[in-house]
Amino acid sequence: MSGITENTKTSGEPSKENPSPNSSDTPDDEKKDDRMFECNICLDTAKDAVVSMCGHLFCWPCLHQWLETRPNRQVCPVCKASISKEKVVPLYGRGSTKQEDPREKVPPRPAGQRTEPEPGSAFPGFGFADNGFHMSFGIGAFPFGFFTSTFNFGEARPTPAARGTQQHMEEQFLSKIFLWMAILFVAWLLLA
Amino acid sequence: MANIAAQRIKREFKEVIKSEEVAKCAIRVELLNDTFTELKGEIAGPPDTPYEGGTFVLEIKVPETYPFNPPKVRFVTKIWHPNISSVTGAICLDILKDQWAAAMTLRTVLLSLQALLSAAEPDDPQDAVVAKQYKENNEMFQITARHWTNVYAGGPNINKDCDDKIRRLADMGIEEHQARVALSSYDWELERATEQLFS
Repeated sequence: MSGITENTKTSGEPSKENPSPNSSDTPDDEKKDDRMFECNICLDTAKDAVVSMCGHLFCWPCLHQWLETRPNRQVCPVCKASISKEKVVPLYGRGSTKQEDPREKVPPRPAGQRTEPEPGSAFPGFGFADNGFHMSFGIGAFPFGFFTSTFNFGEARPTPAARGTQQHMEEQFLSKIFLWMAILFVAWLLLA
Repeated sequence: MANIAAQRIKREFKEVIKSEEVAKCAIRVELLNDTFTELKGEIAGPPDTPYEGGTFVLEIKVPETYPFNPPKVRFVTKIWHPNISSVTGAICLDILKDQWAAAMTLRTVLLSLQALLSAAEPDDPQDAVVAKQYKENNEMFQITARHWTNVYAGGPNINKDCDDKIRRLADMGIEEHQARVALSSYDWELERATEQLFS
């Protein structure tokens, strides 16, 4: 053990195993550790942390505001790689699950994308599992084919539990629009 | 949002003070008010350029929307450079406009400006007269820029020929800076400069 302790001492790394507390080193090292998790925009420790595909860390509110500021130039503030709201990964640290109301000024941070481990990608509509509704167009017995396919979303499909988020509301709204479009279309067909 | 701006400037200010460039006297930042909206920057003229040995003062204004929008930067020290207005000190640099990114800091802005002094972009000019001279009579451009650095930025290279010509115009009752601008714009040809001043 003494050998390890010596090693850590010489390399200057923070040594938690070191029984004798090296009082002058610790606060500095902690600061350094903290700095690795600074948001690249506000330079503070990242809150609601997200990471871009190019690997840069931000607070979600900061990144969101950056993307809002330049809607037609969505680039990473650090390396200018192209980024998008949909393609950031949220970081969930342990013990930081305290969920404040997500619907404040900023829209909630995008959820992590979780893929089931088994290769069951053969089942239809898999890609839509996230969205909670399924839309398909097919050629069938004329009015009915369209009708039935449009009503697919009512079907019991493995949808994610209604989150009560904005996304859920949007889905409901979209569903209604499609329903009315279908009704109008059928009405038009019958009248024409 | 003004809060983010002030917070960030505070942090950046510390960062600049600790940076090695300050240790090398290449850049400097000073606060002008305690709300962190106005700062004074200083960059040293890079070596092997006509700006070598000069110290250039910059006015930095931090908008409320910082860091989502770039700071407004302008040269206070008069300078002869294709991408900087010799009249207003306005700077033509993409990162201070549409190429700004929120992760840039005061330190990187000052270093970029220093780099701009080393590598002018005459094809994207701010001062058309300077840019034309840069492209068509580069030797004259070097002389002029060095002279301006000497007079306005405390550079070490005194050009006696330039000083003499300016004195001759001054003797005719022309204000010194005005004479310098006229001579600089006409490649230090006394006759053409005089003609322009009295026309």
